[in-house]
Amino acid sequence: MRAPGTTTAMLDSLLAPLREEFFLRALAAVVLSGVTCACLGAYVVLRRMAFVSTALTHSILPGVVGALLLGISPYLGALAAALLTAAGAAWLASRRGTSEDSAIGVMLSVMFAGGIALMQQAHSWRDFTGLLFGSVVSVGPADLLVVGLTALVVLLSLRALHKELELAAFDEEYARLLGARPGLLRAVLLALVALGAVACVRLVGALLTTALFVIPAATGVLLGRTLPRVMAWGACVAVGGGIGGLYLSYHVPSVPSGAGIVLCCALPYLLARVFAPRR
Amino acid sequence: MSPAHHRFWAELHGAVLDLLPTLPYAPAETATPSGVAVWAEGLAASARPDGVLAFSEAACEIPVGCRTALVGPNGSGKSTLLRILAGLIPPRAGAVKVLGASPALGRRRVAYLAQRPDLTPDFPITLRRLVQTGKYAHHGWFEECGHGDEEVDQALRLLELSDLADRAVHSLSGGQLQRALLARATVQRAELLLLDEPYAALDLASRGIVERFLTDRTRPFTVVMATHDPADARRSDQVLELREGSLRLIHACAGHDHRHA
Repeated sequence: MRAPGTTTAMLDSLLAPLREEFFLRALAAVVLSGVTCACLGAYVVLRRMAFVSTALTHSILPGVVGALLLGISPYLGALAAALLTAAGAAWLASRRGTSEDSAIGVMLSVMFAGGIALMQQAHSWRDFTGLLFGSVVSVGPADLLVVGLTALVVLLSLRALHKELELAAFDEEYARLLGARPGLLRAVLLALVALGAVACVRLVGALLTTALFVIPAATGVLLGRTLPRVMAWGACVAVGGGIGGLYLSYHVPSVPSGAGIVLCCALPYLLARVFAPRR
Repeated sequence: MSPAHHRFWAELHGAVLDLLPTLPYAPAETATPSGVAVWAEGLAASARPDGVLAFSEAACEIPVGCRTALVGPNGSGKSTLLRILAGLIPPRAGAVKVLGASPALGRRRVAYLAQRPDLTPDFPITLRRLVQTGKYAHHGWFEECGHGDEEVDQALRLLELSDLADRAVHSLSGGQLQRALLARATVQRAELLLLDEPYAALDLASRGIVERFLTDRTRPFTVVMATHDPADARRSDQVLELREGSLRLIHACAGHDHRHA
């Protein structure tokens, strides 16, 4: 039996953060962006788009730093940079001689290099650790509003286009034959990934955001037999891991929230990988 | 989930979709039936847009309801011809009409089954859901398709898939998958089936089921089927042969109900 003191201390370590307003905001943000990223992530994982999602999330770096230098909203800068990366990769890959893989690789490294160059310009007056790895204290009321609106737009779009997105991801040729424009659907999906990535950059950071798309959904694929169930399992992992990560980061301040969230999401993935029945 | 839960979610989802306009995937077809399913003249084609011509000056006429076998050696352009009729690739030259209109994407009356279906591996989808996607042809963007539909059940029974309905698609054998895709074409209510070697991956049991389905005279569809098997060709109403760049009629479809009477 545990001493009553230990139980109280444990309870307190769970409840104490809840008395902080910034922590409650971070919790709300991590739940919203976790569900959003896990649902989008199901498509990212099943369509093998992990690499392009990495490119989109990394390109947030030059977007945010550029926006700060120009004095515009960092969200707009990040979104513009992510969309530019997607469009650039599509354009590079549209000609023979450059595979989509290499096109994404080129855009990823060019955008990231641009971000580092811009960061050096701005380094004297700002610390970018939070942007790179996420920060639990950085979610302001306006940020929470952005996350909420993004979640609404992404989830409603996924719902409205569910049968088409599912079909195009599963049987692209049949979608084409029906006239359901799989190319257009892919572009819509990339735009939604860009939106989702921008929404969770405050918490998870530009370098680790891709994990929120990949790890929960990869867990979902191990556990769910239909696409909605894959999304539901993914959302559980993302929300659980997100909350766990925030607590970790709160109690161990040297761990940035992004790192905490990713580590806490990786645990259920590993468990599912080891124990899920082989399908 | 309990039925009440299901109803709640279905209604919530319906409410989201009700807010949106319904758009068809493609304009409705207006061509009038003429008794001719496929008509082509001076047709030339290559598998790739700038590749070597597989055939040229091809001409044919396939009456509605005719089961046609398309034979010819590997690389003679059988698949290319089927893909042109399906609207997946344009011809290099010539004129072609499919059910009275030019081949195009979004033709719900036409179904095409590739030789090797290019499905995303390990995708979490059940056989029933796969068959159900055939209904999308009659629904546009932002429209829900009913679950547990009678038409889907019928198609599953027809191709003897009812017991497998809740199995994951990636766990099916080649023959079961081929039957599922035919069931989807049934649900789509396709009038022209373009089949690229439909028997290639089938074991004997699946082969019997597919054969019964395709030769069932009560079904009014037209079939154009690429095949290597002379026995399949013999069972067809009409045989077209692609050889050395030209299309020849080996056996014509004459009042196509005498064979299986």
